[in-house]
Amino acid sequence: MGSPLKIALQDLLRARRLQAEAPPLRGEDRRLSPLATGIPAIDVLLGGGFPRGQVSEACGPASSGRTGLALGLLARTTRRGALAAWVDPEDRLDPTSAAATGVDLTRLLWLRGQPRTSRGLPEAVAAVGTLLGSGLFEAVVLDLAGVPVPEIRRLPGATWIRLQRMVEETPTVFVLLADAHTARGPGGVSLRLEPAGPRWSGPPGPGRLLRGLGAQALAGGHPVRRTDLELQAFS
Amino acid sequence: MYGGLHSPRPLPSDHALLELAREFTPRVEARGPTPVLLDLHGLGRVWPTAEDLGQALLRAASERRLTPHVALAWTRAAALMAARGRAGLTIIPAGQEAAALAPLPLLLLDLDPQRQELFHRWGLRTIGDLAGLPAAGLSSRLGPDGPRLRRLARGEDDVPLVPTPLPETFALTLDLDWPVDGLEPLSFLLTRVLEPLCHGLAARGRRAAALALDLRLVDGSLHSRTLKPAAPSVEPRTWRTLILLDLEVHPPSEAVQRITVRAEPTPARTVQFSLLDPAQPSPERLAETMARLHAWTTAGRGGAAALLDTHRPGAFAVGTFLPGPATGGAAAGGPWPARVALRAFRPPLPAHVVLRDGAPAFVSAPGVRGAVVERAGPWRASGDWWDVAWSREEWDVALGTGIYRIFRDRLREAWFVEGELD
Repeated sequence: MGSPLKIALQDLLRARRLQAEAPPLRGEDRRLSPLATGIPAIDVLLGGGFPRGQVSEACGPASSGRTGLALGLLARTTRRGALAAWVDPEDRLDPTSAAATGVDLTRLLWLRGQPRTSRGLPEAVAAVGTLLGSGLFEAVVLDLAGVPVPEIRRLPGATWIRLQRMVEETPTVFVLLADAHTARGPGGVSLRLEPAGPRWSGPPGPGRLLRGLGAQALAGGHPVRRTDLELQAFS
Repeated sequence: MYGGLHSPRPLPSDHALLELAREFTPRVEARGPTPVLLDLHGLGRVWPTAEDLGQALLRAASERRLTPHVALAWTRAAALMAARGRAGLTIIPAGQEAAALAPLPLLLLDLDPQRQELFHRWGLRTIGDLAGLPAAGLSSRLGPDGPRLRRLARGEDDVPLVPTPLPETFALTLDLDWPVDGLEPLSFLLTRVLEPLCHGLAARGRRAAALALDLRLVDGSLHSRTLKPAAPSVEPRTWRTLILLDLEVHPPSEAVQRITVRAEPTPARTVQFSLLDPAQPSPERLAETMARLHAWTTAGRGGAAALLDTHRPGAFAVGTFLPGPATGGAAAGGPWPARVALRAFRPPLPAHVVLRDGAPAFVSAPGVRGAVVERAGPWRASGDWWDVAWSREEWDVALGTGIYRIFRDRLREAWFVEGELD
């Protein structure tokens, strides 16, 4: 094993093995390792990231950072070469924001719903089932933020159980974005986000910029773990 | 034994003699439309004598309305030249090739013009004239080509038979005894057609880039569909799923009487997998998944977004989802700052905005309403004056319900809520 080529190969293999963020090698089972968001505070709070093969959720009111957090997850996923999907029944995703967050748009499948149609949400849930069943996507996000709660409650009662059964045999991370608690798998995480107000670049007046949004993230039941989250604005 | 077929008359098609030859043997070498060389070894149990075999060839030709010259010999060269030089059926017994070819003209050796002129000056007129010359003399005058031509003139083989490959037409038809209605029974029948078709493709190192499906219906009409997935496939299961998904959207109007499937072959992709690169999604599964999402993709509501080269806010296009090869993920390492994202309203919500000292003080739009607590702006932008001009004044405003981006369309003098910052 003295040849420089073999040593270089060993180094590469070792680096790959130690780099837990790297995409799985052929045949490698990553079902037990969580998928990190790349946001240190959130990853610590979640014990490494969102669990694979589970229905997880990130919920909170408007401007609590749900979308920024989910795009951060997808940015990390797609930049590593994996595929991700964003199911968007309300057609609210902004590709410019996604690209600015670092999402590789060529590796993100975006399914845009038709808001204000009665079949929008059931179609979106069916599409999620197809995506989870394919096993091709490392992260799938169903964006229910802004969808009226009665409309979500009109979904069949077994919807989330069915989706949990579909995802649990795959290494996929499935995240629900919602205004309030919607569903969570037995091993999934429920990340609650509470807005802590905007951060401005200076006193009121011309030239002032939105510097970012503050939020508090809460996870777990007893005890509740919490961390502060800062989302940077683009401008 | 070898056979030669040659037609001095024009043929109805370029493949007429080739198809006739393939009735007898798969080992056929076509040298253009004519002549055609057949490897007839091993046919003695069907046609015990050469005469029987020759007559069978003539009968088969006659059924096809062809009148070729037929020659049977124990060398390929002799069979070919005899077929070209003699009409009707010629049978050359083993060892008598040179004698049988001797009276034939020298032109049958397909000499180049200089060599033909040279032999003419030497006074050679027939193949026998050349075959009678001493090999050493020919070699000293013509080099290695001299003995080669002499061997050819004596009916001795110099080159092996190179079989002409079968034409690559990948199509299968299944005639049904009873018409079939509904997709479920059709699924089983499709499997029966697709499995041998895909097996044939795979055996030739091919994949199907596209599949044309023709369903003959009981009313005599034809229901045709063509599928062209993102990636070629040779998996019958994938193709069956794609066909069924397509037929769910475009079902045949009547019961099906006959199924014809034609594949458009393409060379199989050769992939050298890397030990260190991330695993790539299977193109077949991706194509199948996208076909299952046809309700989204066909309406232009599903795919990969691409930003347009413009400063116009919110300009993007949605194209086909065709992820390229992964680059290895080197840029993914390390912590990644969380970013504020815009949750866009499409189209932007028309808003009524109350101004105080030139700045928004109250915003009212469908679903978004409240007094402005804090604000940043204005940020003015404009563009595309040469086309569909736009000009706007943006504000980021904090209401009691969230942070929103609003803008004033300066050309229409109207306010809109562009989206929620989240």
